[in-house]
Amino acid sequence: MVDYLYDGTFEGLLTCIYHHYYTEKASGIFRREEYQSTMLGGYKEIETEEEKAITVYEAIEKKISSDDLKRIYKVFMSGVEGKETKILNYVRLGFVKGSCVSMLHGEPIVFAVQQAERKVNGEVHRMKGLIRFSELGNKVLYSSIEPDHDIVEFLADHFCDRFKNEPFIIHDLKRSKALIAYQGSWYISEFTEKELSPLSEEEKEYRRLWKSYFENMAIRERINPRCQKNLMPVRYWKHLTEFQL
Amino acid sequence: MDLMFDKLKILADSAKYDVSCSSSGVGRKNNGTIGSGAAEGICHTWSADGRCISLLKVLFTNKCAYDCEYCVNRRSADVERASFEPEELARLTIEFYRRNYIEGLFLSSAVEVSPDHTAERILHCLRLLRNQYGFAGYIHAKIIPGVSQELIHAIGLVADRLSVNIEMPTSKSLELFAPQKKPKQIFSPMRQITNTLIERKALKGPGTMFKGQDLNSDLSYLNPSQSSVLVDPQQLRQNQNSPEQTALAGAAGVPARQGRKKEVFAPAGQTTQMIIGAGQETDKQILTTTENLYHTFKMKRVYYSAYIPVVPSPILPDALTAPPLSREHRLYQADWLLRFYGFSAGEILDEENPNLDPDLDPKVTWALRHLDQFPVEVNKASMDQLLRIPGVGVQSAQRIVRQRRISAVKYEDLKKIGVVLKRARHFLTCSGKYYGEKNFMPHVIKNQILQINDGVQMSMFGDNSQSVLTGGEKGGRVLTNG
Repeated sequence: MVDYLYDGTFEGLLTCIYHHYYTEKASGIFRREEYQSTMLGGYKEIETEEEKAITVYEAIEKKISSDDLKRIYKVFMSGVEGKETKILNYVRLGFVKGSCVSMLHGEPIVFAVQQAERKVNGEVHRMKGLIRFSELGNKVLYSSIEPDHDIVEFLADHFCDRFKNEPFIIHDLKRSKALIAYQGSWYISEFTEKELSPLSEEEKEYRRLWKSYFENMAIRERINPRCQKNLMPVRYWKHLTEFQL
Repeated sequence: MDLMFDKLKILADSAKYDVSCSSSGVGRKNNGTIGSGAAEGICHTWSADGRCISLLKVLFTNKCAYDCEYCVNRRSADVERASFEPEELARLTIEFYRRNYIEGLFLSSAVEVSPDHTAERILHCLRLLRNQYGFAGYIHAKIIPGVSQELIHAIGLVADRLSVNIEMPTSKSLELFAPQKKPKQIFSPMRQITNTLIERKALKGPGTMFKGQDLNSDLSYLNPSQSSVLVDPQQLRQNQNSPEQTALAGAAGVPARQGRKKEVFAPAGQTTQMIIGAGQETDKQILTTTENLYHTFKMKRVYYSAYIPVVPSPILPDALTAPPLSREHRLYQADWLLRFYGFSAGEILDEENPNLDPDLDPKVTWALRHLDQFPVEVNKASMDQLLRIPGVGVQSAQRIVRQRRISAVKYEDLKKIGVVLKRARHFLTCSGKYYGEKNFMPHVIKNQILQINDGVQMSMFGDNSQSVLTGGEKGGRVLTNG
């Protein structure tokens, strides 16, 4: 049993799972740069191999289910600690139980993965509401976010459909990447704020209107900041127009 | 822009007491230029009172011809007045929507000149939004009692959800507080909306209340005699669902258009709202009216709004009264029991217990009165039985049923499934073993649950909790510890 180290890509993780079955059993899978070696077991660095990754990818889809494949990918995109090992355990159990693995809610291995998936889904849903676009001078809509999980690509379908005639950018400041979309097609690329043009003239006015509307909506007799913060954690406020000056 | 700033301020200020802000019920791809509908609904922000903001909620105008006792905008009130132009409101909605501030528009209005005059301007604005701007986002339009059938129909064709406010839970309160609004004027648009939905085979009903039933048969049309659902405090027992239902073809009053493109009428159905705590009605009366609304009009939701003294009046609770927030909360819990858990109003409250217990949620209260039906064995019970266990929700009940097909549900699994054990453990067994108190008595279990609950309950409403108790007494409602 050794710890496997991978390069941080989904293909890399799948390659590790391949080696778990065909080379040597894995005690855990870790990102290379985050690994702290222990005195107990050894570790092995795994070179990502596309072919091996595809084998595992297809095996999960066929022997477990395509829903579980999506679930695993979502967990991989989460910021949850130890997600790689959680995925490994889930896949191992899945190969034994088949597609009914996702129904074993009481099983700790399944529970861990479903918890992580819930966190990602929850943040995706939240972000659909919490993203705030600003209109730039060139009519592009720009939004900056700092989500807990790597979710920009899960937002693509929703916003591409909704704003099919508007060019827009959703910029993940934490990961320096952005979703860039126009007329239904989109791609994800590295991105820095330097590439932005200044705000449009009207933008300030609409921000002011929105902020005033927002403040007006609170009913004085019902003020309940605790409830507000519960539903909308303070860490998201930084990028919300209504809390900016 | 500064003019717009003031207008928005005035017209949002008077709209904020409308409760509904939900944007759920329509899953729609972008079939216009901009916008889509998310079936699950999306909240965009939460204001300082903890209520979600999903829609741009404004009045079209607050220049009102009516003089309702409880309303900020009544004719005799001294407040700033303003009206939108259809074009400017449409533009504002689009610009807010583009920036993802909102999920759509919630348009209500005071009655300027006459109901029809106001409705025509609202219709003009909504048509601009839909046709000119190609807006495919969510629109909730409020129907003012007294509007003509043709206008209601036309608004229904551009809006996703329609609502007519029932305002008060009993006919007595309505007479007292809103003398210009006649029950007939409120129920006839409600009936028209329901009948139009039946005509289009699109009536869905609230929650899972009518699961598996056909709501859209020709027999379901409502006729005028069936309309009054308001509880008459004198005779509570007029809860009948009239046996002879005459089929009325074209009951909506406006014939369906035989066109090429399929028209959609209010796909997210209709809702209503009532003010609680203004009159003297009991929770039982409120819940019975709610149930009648669900049974008769098959509404999607009934909203409650805790009365906030915005205008001084000799017949209303005085200005120092805190809004009965915890009562509102318990009523919503009871409302959920009606829509998703198969309870009836008569089960939740009866003649001896006409009000909900402020300390315990209504499901626990019901279970404590019916301990003979407990404990329930989770590995054998039917879905309906599982749903009646306090601490078990719809999701966890579904998960239990799903998991036990593969392996027995163990006590340790319940927490992971999402069951709230601090309540549920008193009412269930797992493979024959009971995990609650040895003493299976209502007051023992109640004390157990309350001890754990105390901290949670106080914090839930923050400082309000205290004032609710004292305020409630002033409002003529004594909150005792059950």
